[in-house]
Amino acid sequence: MATDSGYVMADSRAAGAEENQTVLIQRTLRSGQSIFYPGNVVVLGDVNPGAQVTATGDVIVVGALRGMVHAGAGGNEAAVVVAFRLEPTQLRIAKHVSRPPAGMVPAGQPEVARIRDGVITIEAFSVAGERQGSIARVSVPVDLEFEK
Amino acid sequence: MGEVIVVTSGKGGVGKTTATANIGAGLALRGYKVALVDADIGLRNLDVVLGLENRIVYDLVDVAHGHCRLKQALIKDKRFEGLYLLPAAQTKDKTAVKPEQMKEICLQLGEEFDYVIIDCPAGIEQGFKNAIAGAEKAIVVTTPEVSAVRDADRVIGLLEAADLREPKLVINRLRPKMVRQGNMMNIEDIIDILAVDLLGVIPEDEKIIVTTNKGDPVIQDERSLSGEAFRNITRRILGEPVPLMDLERNGNLFSRLRRMVRLG
Repeated sequence: MATDSGYVMADSRAAGAEENQTVLIQRTLRSGQSIFYPGNVVVLGDVNPGAQVTATGDVIVVGALRGMVHAGAGGNEAAVVVAFRLEPTQLRIAKHVSRPPAGMVPAGQPEVARIRDGVITIEAFSVAGERQGSIARVSVPVDLEFEK
Repeated sequence: MGEVIVVTSGKGGVGKTTATANIGAGLALRGYKVALVDADIGLRNLDVVLGLENRIVYDLVDVAHGHCRLKQALIKDKRFEGLYLLPAAQTKDKTAVKPEQMKEICLQLGEEFDYVIIDCPAGIEQGFKNAIAGAEKAIVVTTPEVSAVRDADRVIGLLEAADLREPKLVINRLRPKMVRQGNMMNIEDIIDILAVDLLGVIPEDEKIIVTTNKGDPVIQDERSLSGEAFRNITRRILGEPVPLMDLERNGNLFSRLRRMVRLG
C-alpha cells in the first residue's frame, strides 16, 4: 500500500503542479454543460446525462454521475473518479475508455473507478481504502462529506 | 404588472402549444386577463389550436416592426372572457424578431394583462432566445421519454444561464398503466434527473387530439382527465395548493379514470 500510494504521489507530482489544483463546482451540470479543468474537479451536485467533465486529475461527484467523465485527461493513469452514484454514460481515465455493462444495476452507494491492471475497474468507495492518502490529497472537505 | 411566463421544452411535439392554450384558457376562466404570444414564427400553431386562425390580420412581426399597434394585432377569444392571442407570422422566420423587440412587446403586454404566456418554438436557437427574452418565469414541458427529458435538462440549463431560475415542470402524456408495468419513466425518475418543482402531470388522453383538432381547449371539458390536470395546473399557478399526482397514486388515478369514463 505504501509503495502504491507513494508511486501515486510521485506520479502526480511529476505530472506538474497544476495537478494539485482543485476546482469546486457548486451546482448540477445539466445536458450540454461541460467543465474542463487542469487539475481535480469536485462537483457538489449531479452530472446529468449529456454533461461532460474533463480533468487532468481526479473527478469527485457529490451526487449522481450520469454524464460523461474523463479523469486523468493528460494521461495520468493514477487518476480516479468517485461519485455518490456512479452511473456514467461513459467513463474515461487517461487513455482508457469504458462504458457501464448493459443492464448494470446501480450500486446504491459511493463508488470509485480507477485503473487496475490496465482496465477501468469500479469498486465500492471506502474512506479507509488503500487510496486514502490520495483521496485526502484531492480535497479535504469532500473527505468530511463522506464521513458524515 | 403582469407575470410573463414562457412555455418551453427543447424537444418538439411534447405539448408546448397545447399546454399554452389550455393554461391560458384556464387562467381566463378564472377571471384573469391573459395574453398568449406565439413565438414560433414561420411554424405558427397556437392560433390553430385555439381555433383563431381565420381571424389573424396582424402578427408578432408586424408589431415588432411597427407596422401596427400591439392592440391591433391582439385577437380576442370570444369563448373565454379576457383571453387574447398575439399570433406569430407564418411567412417570415425566427430572425424577423430580435430579443430586444420581444422584451419590449412583453413589457407592453405585462402592463395590460395579468398573465402573458409565451409559446416557445422547439430548439435552442434564435427562436428560443427570442421567446425567453421577455420572460420572468418558465414552464418546461416534457414527456416521459428519455430524449424529451434530456432536452428538458438542456433547456433548464439554458434558462438558468439566462437568469430564469426555478422553472416549473409539466410532465405531459404520462401513461399510468405503462408506468406501473415498468415500461415508462415514472415521475420520480424524471424529477430525479431534472431536479425542478413539478407543476403538474397530464395523462395521455385521446380527448386532447380531438379538442386540439377542433381548436377547442380541453380544459373546459369537465369529464376528461387531461382537462382536470390542466385545471389543477392553473390553480397551482394561482398559488392554490393542489396535491400532485405521484407514482403511488397512479393505480388510483387509473382506476379513477376508468370510473370517470364509466360514469360519463
